[in-house]
Amino acid sequence: MNATRRDLFKFLGGSAVGALFTPAPWRLITDTALWSENWPGIPRPARGEIRARFTNCALCPAGCAVRARCVGDRPVALTGVAAHPLSHGALCPFGLTGHHLPYHPLRLKQGPVKEAAGAVANALAKCGPTERVAVLDLRPGRTASWTHRRAMASVKNGLYLAPPSPLGSSGAFDLHKAKTVLSFGAPLLDGWGTPGNVMAARENFRLIQAEPLESRTASLADLWLPIRPGAEEALAQAIACVLADRKPEEFAAQTGLAEEQIVSVANELANNGPALVLDGGQAPAVMELNRLLGSLGRTIVARREAPVPDAWKKAAPVTSLEAAADGSIRVLLIDESAVGGYLPWGAIEKKLVRDNPLVVTFAWSKEGYGRYAQYVLPTTVYPEVFDDIPPAVDSVVAAFRLATPLVPPPAGMVNPAEFIGGLAGVPAGDALRERADAIHKSGRGTLFTCADAKSTPLREVKPADFWKALNEGGCWLDAADEKAGSPQVAFPEFSAGQPAEESAEDLPLVAITCETRAAAVPLSPLMSKLYQESHLGLAANHAALHPATARACGLKDGARATLQTRCGTSPIEVSLDSGVPPGVVQVAAGAEILDLCGGPGGRPARAKVVPA
Amino acid sequence: MIAEKKANKTARYGMTIDIDRCTGCGACMVACAVENNVPPAHEGANERKGITWIRVFKIDNGEDYPHKRSAFVPVLCQQCGKDAPCAAVCPQQAVEVDPATGIVGQMPERCLGCRYCMAACPYHARYFNWWDPAWPAGMEKTLNPDVAPRMRGVVEKCNFCHGRWHAAIERAAANGQSIQSVDYVPACVEACPTGAIRFGDLNRPESAPAQAARSGDSFRLLEKIGTEPKIYYRSRKDWVRQIASAPKPGLGKESSRG
Repeated sequence: MNATRRDLFKFLGGSAVGALFTPAPWRLITDTALWSENWPGIPRPARGEIRARFTNCALCPAGCAVRARCVGDRPVALTGVAAHPLSHGALCPFGLTGHHLPYHPLRLKQGPVKEAAGAVANALAKCGPTERVAVLDLRPGRTASWTHRRAMASVKNGLYLAPPSPLGSSGAFDLHKAKTVLSFGAPLLDGWGTPGNVMAARENFRLIQAEPLESRTASLADLWLPIRPGAEEALAQAIACVLADRKPEEFAAQTGLAEEQIVSVANELANNGPALVLDGGQAPAVMELNRLLGSLGRTIVARREAPVPDAWKKAAPVTSLEAAADGSIRVLLIDESAVGGYLPWGAIEKKLVRDNPLVVTFAWSKEGYGRYAQYVLPTTVYPEVFDDIPPAVDSVVAAFRLATPLVPPPAGMVNPAEFIGGLAGVPAGDALRERADAIHKSGRGTLFTCADAKSTPLREVKPADFWKALNEGGCWLDAADEKAGSPQVAFPEFSAGQPAEESAEDLPLVAITCETRAAAVPLSPLMSKLYQESHLGLAANHAALHPATARACGLKDGARATLQTRCGTSPIEVSLDSGVPPGVVQVAAGAEILDLCGGPGGRPARAKVVPA
Repeated sequence: MIAEKKANKTARYGMTIDIDRCTGCGACMVACAVENNVPPAHEGANERKGITWIRVFKIDNGEDYPHKRSAFVPVLCQQCGKDAPCAAVCPQQAVEVDPATGIVGQMPERCLGCRYCMAACPYHARYFNWWDPAWPAGMEKTLNPDVAPRMRGVVEKCNFCHGRWHAAIERAAANGQSIQSVDYVPACVEACPTGAIRFGDLNRPESAPAQAARSGDSFRLLEKIGTEPKIYYRSRKDWVRQIASAPKPGLGKESSRG
C-alpha cells in the first residue's frame, strides 16, 4: 500500500480531532492556566515571619488602636483591638487601608527643604511691625502642637492658629450618659468622634437627626427630621421657644417641619434626659440648646489635658483663624502632617498680606493646601509617622497614645515640629519622651497595653516601661476628675438664624457637602471599591441631584457638568438621586470642593450646575 | 454510627447580616480586598467590571424626597447549601463545595474563564478578572502571603476567607485542639465596626447565624428558588424584607455585570 500525501493529511486531521476526545488538550489548558498564574505580570506576595505589632491610627483625631499583621517588617493587614477602652475594636475603611499610603502614587518623596528654610528666614527678617508669623495646625493638642505654640511664643509677632473646635481641649461629649441625642447634621454614625465608642453607646440613646439630606446617620437614626438647607439655627431656636413655653411658629416656618413635630421633639429632649445636642457646624444657637437642656456637667463634661512639662507652659495661646486680622499674616506655616479639620482656602487667603506672602505647607501630598503654597515640604505619612494623638471629642478623660512607625520612612522627610521649633530655637527632638515623663510624674490614671489587654495603674509602672508600652501601642487614660464641674464653654447669645445665602437668580441651587473624614488627603487606591467599583460613596468631583432638578438644569445621569459658586468653578460628574431635596446639589467634600462650597456643616453656599 | 460521627464533625458555616445595624461604611469591602489580595480598580473598571467579593448595595423604599428611606445591604456569595447553580454549570470542576465546611469554593487554577457560573449565579456574586491584577509601585509589599493573586481571565468570588480557615486549622492542630474549636472569622466580620455581620456554624444552635436563622425578622435572598443560601439577613423594616425577593437589590439591573 502506498501512502499518499492525502493519507498523511487524513492521518494528521484524524489525530487532531481524536486528540480533542482525550484529556490531553484540557490538561494543556490547565497547565497553561497554572503557568499564567505565575507569570511575571502577577505580583508574588512576600513571605517571611508573621507577627503582630500594635500602634494607634493617626489618620484622624479618633486615634483608634490598631493591630498590624506584619510579614517581616511590613504590615499586610490592619485590624482594631477589641478590648481597647476607647476604640472598642472598630476601624474605619480609611484605617483598614492605612498601610497602603506610603506607596500612594501622589505621595511626596522630596521637597525644597533648604530653599524653604532660606525663604522663611528671609521673610522673618523682613517682617514689618504689624505683620504676623503664623502656624496653622490642623490637629491641635498634639505634642508637636505644643512645640509650635512654644515656637510662636518666642518669635516676634508669632500666632498659633487652629480650626474651630466645639469644646476646645477643656471638655468632651459623654454619649454613654445621654438618653436622647439631637444631632444637627453631625455624622454621628459615620465617623464622628471615636466610631467604636459611638457604637458602644448607641444602644442606650435615642437618636434624632436633623439635616436636609438622608445621610448614613439619618438613615439609621430613630427619627430623621428633613429640614430645609441652612435651617439648623431656626430649628434650634424653635425648640428653644418650646422649652421656654413660647410659640415656635416664627422659626418653625423656616425649618420646613410641622410645628407639632418640633413641639414633640422639644418635649422628648426635655422629658427623656439627659439629652445632648450635637452640631456639625457648631452654630451658636444649636450649642445654646445644651445649656437650656442642662447638658453641661451631665452629657458635656470637663476634661483635663494630659500633663505637659512646666517649661512648655510659656506657649502662644490657641487662636481661631477668624480672630486673626485680615491682611496681617506675612509668613504662614501650615502643618498638614496630621489630618484634621480643613478650612476653605478663601478664609485663609484673606488673612494673608497682599504683597507677596510666604506660605509653606508640611504635607505628604500636594492635594491639600499644597496647591496654593510656594513650598510643599514632604512629611512622613501614617504608618511611618511618629506622633501622638490627642483625645477625640467623645473621650471623657485625657488620653496619651502614640502612632509609632510600622514601616521606616524614606530619607528626606521633614518633621514640622523640628522645622518650626528650629526657627525659634525650641528643641523638638525628644518632646514626646518629655511629655510621657511628665505624665508618668503625675502618677494619675492607668496604662492599657494592647498585647495582653490589661489596664495597670500608672503608679505601678516604671518610667522606662511606660515609654516602652506607649511605643507598643499602649494608651494612657487619665483618672476621672472628681472636682471637675462643667466645662468652661463660652456659649454665645442667640443670634438670628443663618439660612442659606439669599436666593439668587444666577445661582439657583444650594450646595451641600457630604463629609468624609480624610477629605483633603488622597485615600488608599483600594478605596476604589467604594467610589469607583460600586456606588457606595459619592466620589470626589461627583455631585448628586434630584431628577427634577437635573431636568431643570438640562442634565442626565452620568453627565459631565461644571459646578459654579461665588468662589469659583469645578468640573463634576452628575448622578441622579431622588433622596436629594429638589433645588440642592450634593457634592463630595474633597479639598477642591470645600474651597468652593465651604466646610461640612457650614452655611450652605449658593451654586449652579451647567452642562459641560 | 460512623456516619453519625462524621456528620457531627461537619460544619456548615454561615453568616447573619443585620441590615438595621449596617451604616454602609464599606469597611467590610475594603477589609475583604486587603485580605484576599483583590487589586485596586483598573482605570476602566466600573460597577459592572469591578471586583468586590462583598458589595454593599444602597437600597431604598422607592419613594421620593422626603419620604425616601434607605438601607445598606452587603451582598456576597450566598454560599448556596443545595444545588449551587455555579457548581452545576462549571465545565472545569473549578467550583467545589467543601463537605467539611459547606463553603462553596472557587479554584482559579482550573477556571477557563467561560463565565457560565456568572450567568448562572442568581446573586451576581461572581466577578471576572478583566485585567491583570496590578498595584501601584511598592504596594505589592502589602499583599497577604496566604492568598495568591488571580490572573486575568478567571472568575473569583467570596470563599469565607478560606486562607483564614486553613490557618485556623493549622493553629488548632498545632495546639492539639479539635477542628471544631477553631477560632475563625472572615475579614469582613472582623472589620464590621457595628457588629452587623456575624459568622458561625449553622450546625451549632448557639451560634449567631443559627439563632438568626430561627429569628422572625430573618430572611434570605431569593429564598423561593430553593438554593438554600447560608447568609441570613435581618431587618425589622417590611420594605427591606420585600426587596429580598427581587433579583438584585437597589439598581434593578438584572444583567449588570459583564
